[in-house]
Amino acid sequence: MTIPILRARNLSKSYGPSTALAGVDLDIAPGDSVAIMGASGSGKTTLLHILAGIIRPDAGTVTYAGPSGPVEVGSLGEGARSRLRRGEFGFVFQAGLLVPELTAVENVALALMIKGTPRKAAEPVAAQWLAALGLAGMEHRRIGELSGGQAQRVAIARAQVGGASVVFADEPTGALDSQTSAEVMTALLGATSGRGRTLVLVTHDESVAARCGRTIHLHDGALLNAGSWEPRTLTTSVPAVPAAPPPAAAQQPEQRFVQRAVLQPAWDPMGGAR
Amino acid sequence: MTRIPVPLRLLRLLWRPGAGSTALVALPVAAFALVTALVLVVLAGAMTFYTAPPAEDGSTGLYQVLASLALALMLVPLATLGSSAARLSARRRDERLSTLRLLGATPGQVGALAVLESTLLAAAGAVAGVVLYAAAVPAVALLHFRGAVLGLDALWLSPLAVFATVAGVALLAAASAAAGLRRVVLTPLGVRTRQQPAGAHWLRLALGTAAVLGIVLALSLLGSLGSFLAIAAVAAGAFAAGLAVLNLLGPFALKAVAGRNLRRAATPERLLAARTVLESPKEAWRQVSGLAMASFVAVVAGTGLALMDSAASSGTDDVLVADIRTGVVITVVASFLMVACSAGVNQAAAVLDRAGLYTSLDRLGMPVAAMDAARRRAVMSPVRTVSIGSAVVGAVVVFPLTGIALVVSPLSLATIAAVLAGGIGLVWTGLRATTPVLVRVLAAGHRS
Repeated sequence: MTIPILRARNLSKSYGPSTALAGVDLDIAPGDSVAIMGASGSGKTTLLHILAGIIRPDAGTVTYAGPSGPVEVGSLGEGARSRLRRGEFGFVFQAGLLVPELTAVENVALALMIKGTPRKAAEPVAAQWLAALGLAGMEHRRIGELSGGQAQRVAIARAQVGGASVVFADEPTGALDSQTSAEVMTALLGATSGRGRTLVLVTHDESVAARCGRTIHLHDGALLNAGSWEPRTLTTSVPAVPAAPPPAAAQQPEQRFVQRAVLQPAWDPMGGAR
Repeated sequence: MTRIPVPLRLLRLLWRPGAGSTALVALPVAAFALVTALVLVVLAGAMTFYTAPPAEDGSTGLYQVLASLALALMLVPLATLGSSAARLSARRRDERLSTLRLLGATPGQVGALAVLESTLLAAAGAVAGVVLYAAAVPAVALLHFRGAVLGLDALWLSPLAVFATVAGVALLAAASAAAGLRRVVLTPLGVRTRQQPAGAHWLRLALGTAAVLGIVLALSLLGSLGSFLAIAAVAAGAFAAGLAVLNLLGPFALKAVAGRNLRRAATPERLLAARTVLESPKEAWRQVSGLAMASFVAVVAGTGLALMDSAASSGTDDVLVADIRTGVVITVVASFLMVACSAGVNQAAAVLDRAGLYTSLDRLGMPVAAMDAARRRAVMSPVRTVSIGSAVVGAVVVFPLTGIALVVSPLSLATIAAVLAGGIGLVWTGLRATTPVLVRVLAAGHRS
């Protein structure tokens, strides 16, 4: 029996008179990729934000089984949740939300620098991630000089460069056309569940959800089908790569990941390049 | 039914501040109020030299010239502050403006609306500024000029002058808002800043160096003339040329310093700050160029004063030197005050402009203190470069004189240095004042 990496119990959240979440229970297995679907206003982004410790639930608990033992996310203070987010979690937003003045490699390195990694050590690791995601040679471009799909792959590199255990993605393909969307999903899955990391994403897009290991549906703040949370065998074209060691030894596994990413035909790093 | 122009009708619709937007209205209004009050006070002070009966020693003309010079110097920071306030009020309603575009309003209508709004905010601020001016006059009346206090009576401007100032500030806001709109793209999907190519060409460096050489050459030729008039003429010429040099060199210097900072940046805040300046050195320069003038003047005038101070023989000269010193200190303090205000207003606008980005950095776990430090550094680094750099350029331009002044009258120069240091602190305080805006933006991100 696997211990869930994220365990939510009886989550409730209201904004004034409107209920966003009404008693949600959810377990997410390590290495799984979970798509949260639902109509607008069904509470899916609220659920994502509570799981990630961005906002606190009105009631209920979120337990994160981190490397240093279980943590009750909701009970942590603002500063502790900030530390948890920069240490253990990664984020991919719909619009990328990269820093426009910084180059691609600086944007990715920033995530490591926030954690205290010196810039000299951070930038080479960041560059390797970019190369692995098909952005070799574009390290020094500014974000405005990249296409939407390329910017989103920079965001994926930023989310995983620190070795996050869980990556939260809010409509990561929402602003992309269907082909670019498929390519970004390949990159996202390859960088997360493909490496034994956990991916939780919110999406409107059935084809995006279908790529994930598991899909849950929210309706009016309640789960329609929690389903089995035990990871199912993936049938998607995600390369089955073993989990990388913890981020402390980031350099080596990242290099191996680079080689695998380039060698694996199913993992098409150049696919999204314009 | 009378036909109301579309922008006016839209304005009536939008002129309902939502919850939480109070600060966004208050900021530009407060900035405009300060601008107006400063203009009125300075104008009133300058007017005293024009309305007073001619002095027996014939110094009236000199006083009038100096007062006009002080006024001219304050125009640059004043215009910067005015346009910052105008841009803040224009950005404030970005979302609503793009919604209007989405609903089919033409860019012209939305633009007119933004300009109209800025103008109204400026007018409201200007009226508040008149009250502020009235409150400040008793304190200003205590200043000593020509051996006597200015007195209350001399400082009351005619209603016409007050009205003209209020109208002028409103017009300035309208013009700045219109100019500011050229730099943003108003689309139905949002308002974003146009991509601007990074400026600061090497040609500036070449032209600037040539100009400095020219000035030094001219000064060495004229420096042999010992009379006060010659010194004054040389100072005026050097001053005008120096300002031109500063404007040529400014963006280039900021770009060079930021480039060096970028290579050395080891922390996220240093990296972000350096990249922010490099993004547009011209914009960074524009924000702080008022300081260049003030610092330059402070050093050039301070040097002159120190020399005159030590050379002064008659009582009249003593009074004149003291008066010029008062004038220089007032001009420098007012310039820093305006730059501090416009830095604060600009930063408030920038934080609101980039709310989504700051929220995303917060989600990545970047501490608020680091984000705050990054944006403060992005302003303070140019402020330091510009005020110290301009002071150095000023010292170089009147080089032999500065050296002499340093020897014969170190206290005068120490005063100037203290005023500059205090001014830098003032700008820092202005930036600190915008931290709550960032905190509020992040708190809003936590609610969504």
